Amino acid sequence: MLSLLLRQARRILLTVLLGGLLGATLVRLGPGFGVDERELDNRLSADSQQAIRMERAKENNIALFYVRYLGGFLHGDFGFSRSLNRPVAELLKERLPLTLESLGYGVFGGASMGLVLALLTVWWRAPGSDLVPALLSGLCLAAPAAIIALVLLWIGVASRWAIALVVFPHVYRYAKNQLIATSQSPHVVAAEAKGLSSWRVLWAHVFTPAAPQLAALAGISVSLAFGASIPIEVICDTPGVGQLAWRAAMDRDLPMLVTITVLVALMTLVVNSLADLALAAWKNNTVPPAAGSAPA
Amino acid sequence: MLMRCRLTRFTMALMLCGLAAASSASELRFCLRIDPKTFNPLLVEDEASQTVRYLTGGVLIRLNRYTQELEGELATKWKVSENGRRIDFDLRPGVRFSDGTPFTCDDVVYTMRELMDPNLHSPTGDVFRSAPGPVESRCTGSSATGSAGVTVRFPGPVAALAAQFDQVAILSAHSAAKESAVLGPFALGEYKPGAYVLLRRNPNYWKRDANGHPLPYLDAIRLEIQQNRELELLRFRRGELDIVNKLDPEMYDRLSSEMPHAVVDAGPSLDWEIVFFNQVANAPLPEYKRRWFRSDDFRRAISEGIRRDDLVRIVYRGHARAAVGPVSTANRFWLNSALQPPSGSQTAALALLEHAGFRRSGSTLVDRDGNRVEFSMITNAGNKLHERTLALIQQDLARFGIQLNVVTLDFPSLVERISRTFNYEAVLMAITNVDLDPSAQMNIWVSSAANHQWNPNQKTPATPWEAEIDKLMAEQGGSQDRDKRKIYFDRVQQIAADKVPMLFLVNPNALSAVSPNVKNVTPAVLAPQIYWNVEHLQVGNALVSQARNALVNQR
Repeated sequence: MLSLLLRQARRILLTVLLGGLLGATLVRLGPGFGVDERELDNRLSADSQQAIRMERAKENNIALFYVRYLGGFLHGDFGFSRSLNRPVAELLKERLPLTLESLGYGVFGGASMGLVLALLTVWWRAPGSDLVPALLSGLCLAAPAAIIALVLLWIGVASRWAIALVVFPHVYRYAKNQLIATSQSPHVVAAEAKGLSSWRVLWAHVFTPAAPQLAALAGISVSLAFGASIPIEVICDTPGVGQLAWRAAMDRDLPMLVTITVLVALMTLVVNSLADLALAAWKNNTVPPAAGSAPA
Repeated sequence: MLMRCRLTRFTMALMLCGLAAASSASELRFCLRIDPKTFNPLLVEDEASQTVRYLTGGVLIRLNRYTQELEGELATKWKVSENGRRIDFDLRPGVRFSDGTPFTCDDVVYTMRELMDPNLHSPTGDVFRSAPGPVESRCTGSSATGSAGVTVRFPGPVAALAAQFDQVAILSAHSAAKESAVLGPFALGEYKPGAYVLLRRNPNYWKRDANGHPLPYLDAIRLEIQQNRELELLRFRRGELDIVNKLDPEMYDRLSSEMPHAVVDAGPSLDWEIVFFNQVANAPLPEYKRRWFRSDDFRRAISEGIRRDDLVRIVYRGHARAAVGPVSTANRFWLNSALQPPSGSQTAALALLEHAGFRRSGSTLVDRDGNRVEFSMITNAGNKLHERTLALIQQDLARFGIQLNVVTLDFPSLVERISRTFNYEAVLMAITNVDLDPSAQMNIWVSSAANHQWNPNQKTPATPWEAEIDKLMAEQGGSQDRDKRKIYFDRVQQIAADKVPMLFLVNPNALSAVSPNVKNVTPAVLAPQIYWNVEHLQVGNALVSQARNALVNQR
């Protein structure tokens, strides 16, 4: 277990470092990098304009920037956001709780809705029983997150539920397929033949064995939810990290973009790793020891 | 009798006080697009910070946005001398900062010293930087007579010197609160990043109304940070906001059909919608295109060919004025009234094109070497007005056989192309003007400037007319005689109309929305259009608050 933990930690660290570097490189190579809108300010003198250009030129060497950035990162300094004229760490501290709360509600709400509807669909099994959930999930899957946010905004529903509606169809479709596949296993047929109640079969023989596979959805749900939170927070004017990410992208704010890339990568990987660890622990507890192995 | 009168007044005051306590404080609510980048008034660059500075900063001289005349604020009198190198102020006595610190001449000296720090790179400070050398500020007047004054001397003449002080918010030299101690009608109360800025009434604000009541009438201003314009409008309709300071024409018409008494069209603003062609010598353009763009006749023909009336009618829904040049009709003094907007006449445009050697070949226009006239015009993506404007220009130019390709880019990419790589052919953009005085346009007209957009940073003027403009701008900048300056700048406007380095399309109207709850609004075309007289604005129960404030002050 310890070696698995170490492996996961190493994987997370390497991926995050690489993700940050790739993110920084992409921003650096993007059009409009290194220019400042203030250059069009007619009031500024030639000296001030030159000073602005020199300031921006410091970010031109991406390798140097990244090394300096990582140096600061280790000390909790994530750089300075030019677009908001404040330290990135300070901005994240202010905005992260709101986004995490929205993500929490969104992921939990979307996952619960998806799982409950999937369970009901599998339990009911009547022809056309999945018509309404399938239509709803299809609609949510087809509509861009921004449109969902606009609709909810119009009817006065909190933006966090837009995240739930983005997560829901993915969970519902995957969970339904997974549960249907499990429900066709021989042990389920045997349990039904023994006359166990349909709820007991569903819970003990369908849902519980499928749970580890369903847990793997957590990682993808978090990254999905964060991706959706960017347009949702922009549309709904929610002062969270999603809005910050949008603003940073528009302004080519390198330290902010790199930090958000690192943060999202970290969040997704940690949740994925937790799911992997849970799966490993579950396997350890349920799979019987191989024949011939000595008890500890 | 006197006793009874006093008793009545006391009872009324008590009742009002009770009423005020029972009701919530009077608060004006409107939106900022983004968070203010700074609360330091000397470092203000962005619009949101400018708004906060306007509402909190005390200035020596204020430009009345309605009459367009300068008025004394913290300075009771001022005098410009030495050909615009020196200004003397008489300071208002008995004024205190919001934290109670007395306002003295030291504060003005301190503010000017901080503002003119060369490492600050402040746009507010840079307008005073007309020549190299230090700026000297010193206190004058005597403590014995109680009169205090300040003299500020600049190394070179500063055009419209007094008017530039409209942007200089005075800082306290002695207060421990630093920038938080202010002399304006409101002081920073609370800031929740990404959500709102709350400004509270400055209890020590010096101004009183005609009846001697202390100003401002409002208790607070809540600046909600709201990027989404549709949401802003929705909240205004629901009564959650009192003002929408800038509306686009489509929103204006939509709101006007629902709430006709809430919308305000103050007439043409100072802003420009312009087009210019790339005339940069080393731009990555084919030589024949560079020749077109450098041809006065070609630029004039394009300008003549664009039907500005259609732009006003279709794109701006009647809420704009066809531009005649670099000065809007809203700028009463500096406008060269002899100029007329281009006609949009096809015949006039074709005659100019023929004169420049262009001819029709079937349905297309070709130059003297047979090159088909086709060019691209860039603009910022997501700006519906620009996208519609380009669609109309495309149609107008198609009448002459010119193929216009529209390219939309996000703003940083557009800035990169017009200021770094010069990889563009023509551009449509909006310029926001906040200053009436032509000196604010110095960096646009002078050929050596970085913002001389069509051909920036010239070592020597590329054309005789640019050399003439350089000379005229220097002369108007160096003179303190307003009428003489007007003659010089009229000539600049005439050259701009003849040579068309920039095609001035329209001056959009200043459109706003104001809730009927807000009283004493006098819309102006100069920013901030609606709340320029913020100390006189009242919302809902502001009269009760005013009575309460009067009572508190009497105590």
